This record gives sequence, structure tokens and C-alpha cells, in this order.
Amino acid sequence: MAPSHSNNTHLEAAKLEQIITEFFAKSLHIILESRSLNVSSRNSCGDPTLASPSSSSSSSSSVRPRDKWFNLALRECPAALENIDIWRQSNLEPIVVVVDVILVQKHLDWDPVSFSPKRSIHRSSSTSSWNTAQEELGIEAKSEKIIERWIMQYESRKTRDSISSSRRSSNISLHSLYKKLLLLLRSLYATVRLLPGHKIFRDLNSSGQIRSFTLSHRVSSSFTERFTCKDETEMQKFGFTPVDTSCGRLCLSVKYCPSVPEVNSEPSSTPISPRVITDYVGSPLAEPLRSFPSGPTTGLPSQGSTSSLLFSRRHSWSFDHCRPSSPSIISSPSPTYSEPHTSVSNVASRRFPPTSLPPHPPEMYLVQKNKTFDEYYPSPYMSPSPSPSPPIYSYGPLLSKALVRSESAPVSIPTADVTTSGGNSNVRNLPSSPPIRGSRYTSRTDRGVNMMQTGATAEKLFSLGRDESRKYYATNTSFFLPQISFSRNSSRSCQDEYDDSDFSCPFEVDDDDMTDLGSRAESFDHGHITDMVETGGLYPIRKSQDAAVGALVHMLQKAPPLREDSCTPGDSSPSINTQEQPNQILEASTPATASIVASGLLTRKTTSDALEEFQGYREMKNLLLLQGSKSQI
Amino acid sequence: MNCELCQLKELELEQFEIREVLRCNLNSKLVAGILHTILFHRALGLVRPKDIDLELFDITYVQCGDFELEKKIDDKIEQFISWVEKHPNKKSQICLSFYEVKNKQVSWFSNKTERLYWEQWYINLNVVQHTKAHSNKSHHSKVADPGEGALEDRNARSAALEVSLREVLFQIIKFVNEKKDHLPPIPNLEGAVSFPYEITIPSSSDSAFGMDMIKRMLQTGHPTMLS
Repeated sequence: MAPSHSNNTHLEAAKLEQIITEFFAKSLHIILESRSLNVSSRNSCGDPTLASPSSSSSSSSSVRPRDKWFNLALRECPAALENIDIWRQSNLEPIVVVVDVILVQKHLDWDPVSFSPKRSIHRSSSTSSWNTAQEELGIEAKSEKIIERWIMQYESRKTRDSISSSRRSSNISLHSLYKKLLLLLRSLYATVRLLPGHKIFRDLNSSGQIRSFTLSHRVSSSFTERFTCKDETEMQKFGFTPVDTSCGRLCLSVKYCPSVPEVNSEPSSTPISPRVITDYVGSPLAEPLRSFPSGPTTGLPSQGSTSSLLFSRRHSWSFDHCRPSSPSIISSPSPTYSEPHTSVSNVASRRFPPTSLPPHPPEMYLVQKNKTFDEYYPSPYMSPSPSPSPPIYSYGPLLSKALVRSESAPVSIPTADVTTSGGNSNVRNLPSSPPIRGSRYTSRTDRGVNMMQTGATAEKLFSLGRDESRKYYATNTSFFLPQISFSRNSSRSCQDEYDDSDFSCPFEVDDDDMTDLGSRAESFDHGHITDMVETGGLYPIRKSQDAAVGALVHMLQKAPPLREDSCTPGDSSPSINTQEQPNQILEASTPATASIVASGLLTRKTTSDALEEFQGYREMKNLLLLQGSKSQI
Repeated sequence: MNCELCQLKELELEQFEIREVLRCNLNSKLVAGILHTILFHRALGLVRPKDIDLELFDITYVQCGDFELEKKIDDKIEQFISWVEKHPNKKSQICLSFYEVKNKQVSWFSNKTERLYWEQWYINLNVVQHTKAHSNKSHHSKVADPGEGALEDRNARSAALEVSLREVLFQIIKFVNEKKDHLPPIPNLEGAVSFPYEITIPSSSDSAFGMDMIKRMLQTGHPTMLS
């Protein structure tokens, strides 16, 4: 910079240099952020949990130092950072940064068999300016076209005469320079999104499909040769007003192709192409839902045909089961308490196998567990016991976010702090609850005020659906019911598991989940449940069961471990089961627990606790089942 | 201080029947796109930009990511749309003004605030009604299926509107680029939107406008206005 005569000048020059440097970095970041496909700056690639529309603004709430520059918080963009670093290291004096945004057309049909299609594609989409150097060789058929060339330039004023004048106003100009650059960067940010190139970026980024087009970029610190005259004439130029500094000026301009090839021409791309959808309600986009015999939930838009659509939508109305922030919860898993859902899980698990198998670890574990526990649960009729599920926690942290988002949320039974405060003997074993839970489930808490009621309903629902689950597993898989509960637990998100851990009432379910159970059973035979839900058959019996369920829960809380003669207030017939089962469980418990402990998870839970829980829930279930069937009749 | 004016190119919008909520929504979004683009350029506080894709158009505009601001704009646009519904086939103007608030001490006990406008943007809208008769005129053959004809017609207008909107947005960017010297010093306000602003829409009564102003003053967190 300008030779200085005082410390002040030195300081100022340094500041100026820093501002300019940061300006370049920011500009580069802005451009690459919205042109670099590797960056999930929008809503497609990368972390699916960031797919919400607001993610761009909310994903990072903390202010990084980089964001403070020019008061513009940008999303992470590895490509930009990379290039910024390179450029900074090079420290070139006449600062020119050229960013070429290149549209690359890969000829996917390079296969010799389909050679002619390749040519036709090329002919149709390529323009005269496509750089198809290697194409004739037919080896790597790839054509490139520069669709944008951004030129950031700092023109240093070396002439002496300008120094005197600029020094006079340099104090002010640092401030005003910063402000002007700030404005310029705002403009740049908006412009980048208005240029035709952004459409390409949008199109390519919005669909996760493999396309023959891709965007790449080239950052260089000098004008490259690749820009042919032909290209140049085709391009339009938009120049931002240069900003003067005390010893030079910053220029920013872009040359861009006014018309870009349609990258979206593939048939699959239609959903994002602009068109008028005259009838949204019945539109085909929403229609896939109906392909499922979904009973009560036909009105819910959650069940798209494609998984991504399905999941993202599902989450939009599911009380944020799986927020991006959720993984933090996993760190404090509570092994003991997954079973509250097992009653419902049967129903839910029926749809597990086809769609969302968890990553390998849970799966592997699933297999092991099933082997172990099947023996101890000879009756497929039984509802799965609570104890088997905990080990799944060990894989919690390993579960991918995709998994978390995938199948689990709909299945999960809402939990609420309220329920915990109800006082369950198991609560003592639980680790402290995650802070997130309270807020997450507030609405559910409201809805599930009478958890006994909902619990009863869920239980009822489960019992009604048991037949189907058996049917399904008989025909589809070799699983037995106990497995179902395991697999279901495995498939559930860690977060769900985690949330569930606080349940004192195992069967709490809300409308959302109820409908899910019915509708999301998808192609499986679930008509029975659906009918029940639809006709409201489940609900009338709820109130009458309140007292009984309440008493049951109370009793369970007080019951000593392995107590066989539980005094269920209801009919005696359920107790037959319970009296048989404890023995089996008792036998089973040792190896089961051993395996669990071996996995390092269940350290705080004793076998007797688990058995106690199991017994209690079994009793409850049977009682409710009985009562439900009575009231049905 | 001189006040820079920017008259934005007139956009011809269609007035849609009220039941066409979706289309109405489009109008709102167009206007929102313009307002947000301007405000984004004047939000010199820390901004976490948010991209908004306009449905039907290949246009992405930027919001500041400021919830308050978004709500304010939405409210304004709602008011505007309802005004338009009451005054069909009328040209209208939405004015977005930025100002500084100066305290003017009138006496020992009272202060008067004064607004010094330093920039005004005029969004010119021509909301026209395209009746069915109009669309049928150009699609005689499709009288049997007026919906389709109207759709084609609409798509053509939509394309034209996209071009115009893009022009308007570029106009904003150019203006922002060219005129940088009139901006007052950035006040140390929290939030993204650093300068006080107001959005004025055609209004049937001036008193309501006054109320709006006061409300806006309070909202923007400025010294209370006792006028």
C-alpha cells in the first residue's frame, strides 16, 4: 500500500488492506455459495435435516467472526474457504480474482452402444461456445461452458499525486469505504441470485438426481485464456459501481450468459419447473398418499411417494420430532425405557422393513437380539417386552440423521414431562432429561393430558392390530412378534428412544400417531385398525378405562419386582398370562441382561426392574384388551 | 440532506378473483420480493440472508431473515391487496421510505421528533382486471374450455411479468450501487434492519396513515413521538 509517513497511516493502510482482503473473501464466498453444487447452501444435498426452508437463516445461529465482516452471515461453503485460503497465501499484488462458473455437460450416454443418442443430445443442447475439446475422442465426453465470469479487481493507484488527496479524507473513507463495500456485497448477494446462472444452480441443486449437467467453478488470480471471443460476445456484462479507496478502487463485475441451457429438461425434473398448478388440493403431488389404504389420515399430506418428500413433510407437522439439534440428545440415552411404546410398536413396526432400515450397526444388533429374545417369547401373541429394547441405544449416536428423520418420527409416541411427573418407579433409573424435550412436546403434553386415556387407546389400538402384524410377519418375514418390537426399536430414531425414555405412561399416543399407525401401515393389511380408528371405535371406551388404568399404573409403580400375583382390578383372565410369563422371563432374563450389560448400556437397570415393567405392561395390555373387546361388543 | 428517489418501473399485475387465493398470493409475493430486495440493501445490520424462490418464476430474491420485518411486510401487503380489491383497475403506488429521526427540542419538557427522509422508493403497480371476456377474445376457439384459454393467456402474462420483475429488481440493485453517498451513518440498532423505514400504501383515510406512522415509530424502537 501507500508508503506511510506515520504510524497512523500504517495502521490505516493495514486496516484498508484487511477490509479489501475481507471484501474479496466475502465476494468469493457469496458467489461460490450460490454456484457451488457441493455446498448444500440450499435445500438439497448434504444434511437432510437442514432441508427446512428456513434453514438458511436459522441453521447457524451463532455469529462467527467471519459473519461479522460486512454484517453478512453466510453459510458454510468449503469451496469458498478453500479458494480464499489459496488466494490469501498467494498474496498477489495486482489483485485480480476471476471466478468462472462453468456448466459442465457430462455425456452420460458414453456407452458405445448408445453412441448416437449422445450425439443428438450434444447437438441439441450445445451452443457454439461449448468447449468440447475431448469430445471427439469419445473418451471423456464432457463439454464445458463458462456461464459466468466474475471479476473482482483492486486497482491500486500508484501515482503519487493521488496520495495527498486521498490521505486527507482517509479517516472518513475507511468508514465510508466499509459501508460502501457492505452495500456492494448486498448487491452482489442479490445479483448472484437474479442471474440466469442461479436457475441452473437451483435446478441442479433442488433435485438429488444424477444429471448430465453439473456446475463447477474455477478461481484464478489472473485472466485465463479460456474465454474466447465468441464467448465474450455472447455474454452480457453487469458492472457494479466501483468503490474508491484511499489508494485505489475496487471493481466488481460479472459477465454472464443471458440465456442458459435448460438443465432441467430431463423428464424427472418437472416438479420444479414453473407451471401453474390449478388444483392444489387434488394435485398429483399429494396423491401418492392415497395409494396407501390409509384410513383415517387420508387428509394428511405427509405421505409422499418419495422418501425425501415424505420425511420432510412429515416433520413439518410432527412437532419437530427430529430437529437438527436433536442429536445432542443422544449423548444421554436412557436405556431402560423404550418399552412404553412397544405396545404401539407392533403396529408401527410392520412398516419398518420395507422402507427404512437403519444403518448397519442397528441392523446387526437387531439380528442378534432377535435371536436371543425369540426364545424367550414363545408366544407371538404377546406384546413385546420392554427389556429387549435398551441395547439399541448403543447405536444411537451411530444412527445417521437420515435414519433419524426417516421412519421414526411418525412412530414415536409423544412423551411429556407431565407423564414423568406422574411418578413411575422406573423414572429413578433415568438419566436427566434433555432440555429440548420440554419445549418439543409441549403441545403434545397438552393434548395428552389424560395420558391414561390415550394410553388405553394406544394399547387398544395395538391389540387390535396384532392380528395384522402377525399376518404380516407370517407372510412377509420370518420374524416373530418380539422381533418386531426389537426391529422397531432399532429403527426408531435415537431421539425417539431417548424421548421415550421418560415415559411413565407407556401407551401414551396422540392423534397424530394414531393416524400414523393406521395410515402408515401402508400396504400391509391394516384394515382392522383403520376401521377402528375411523369409526371411533377406540375412543368411546377410553373414559371407562381411566380408573382401571390409573389403578394399574399405580399398582405397577408400587409392585415389588417379580411379583406374580399382581392384583389387577380387571378380569382375572389376563393374569393367567402374566403368571406364566414371568417364569419365562425370569429364565430369559439372565442372558438377556447379560447381553445388555455386555453392550455397556444397561448398567443402571436391573433384571428385576425390567421384569417388573414387563409384567406390568403385560397386565395392562391384557386388561385393556379385554375391556376393549368387551366394550366393542 | 437530500432525499434520493427511485421510481421503479411499473409492474402490471393482474387482479385476480378473490377465490384464486393462490394467484393473489403470487401478487403478494411479487410485491414482497420487491420490498424485501430493497430492504435487504438497506439492512446494514448483521443479516442472515434467506433465499425465497418465487413460484412460477425463475426468480430468487433475498430476505434479511428478520422475522419482524417479514411480518411487517406481509401485513402491509395484505392491507395493500385488500385495498386493491376495493379499488380495481387503478394504478397504485407503494412507497418505501427510509428516514432518520431527529430530536427537536421544542421546550424544556417536550421533544418533538422529526423525520428526515433520505430515500424513497416508489413501487408502481398497475393492477388490472383480466376478465374472462378478455381471455375469450383471444381464444375464440377455446370457448368451450375457457379455463385452458385463460391458462395460456395467464402463462403469457406471467412470463412478461417475470421479465418486468427481474428488471425492477435489477433496477433496485443498480440504484443501490450508484447511490451510496446519501446514506446516513449506520445507527447502532440491534437487528438486521438498521434504518427506520416506513411503507406507505394507498389508504382511504389519512388518519389511518397517521396511526400507522405512530405505530411504526414504536415498532422500530425509536424515541417516542409525542406529536
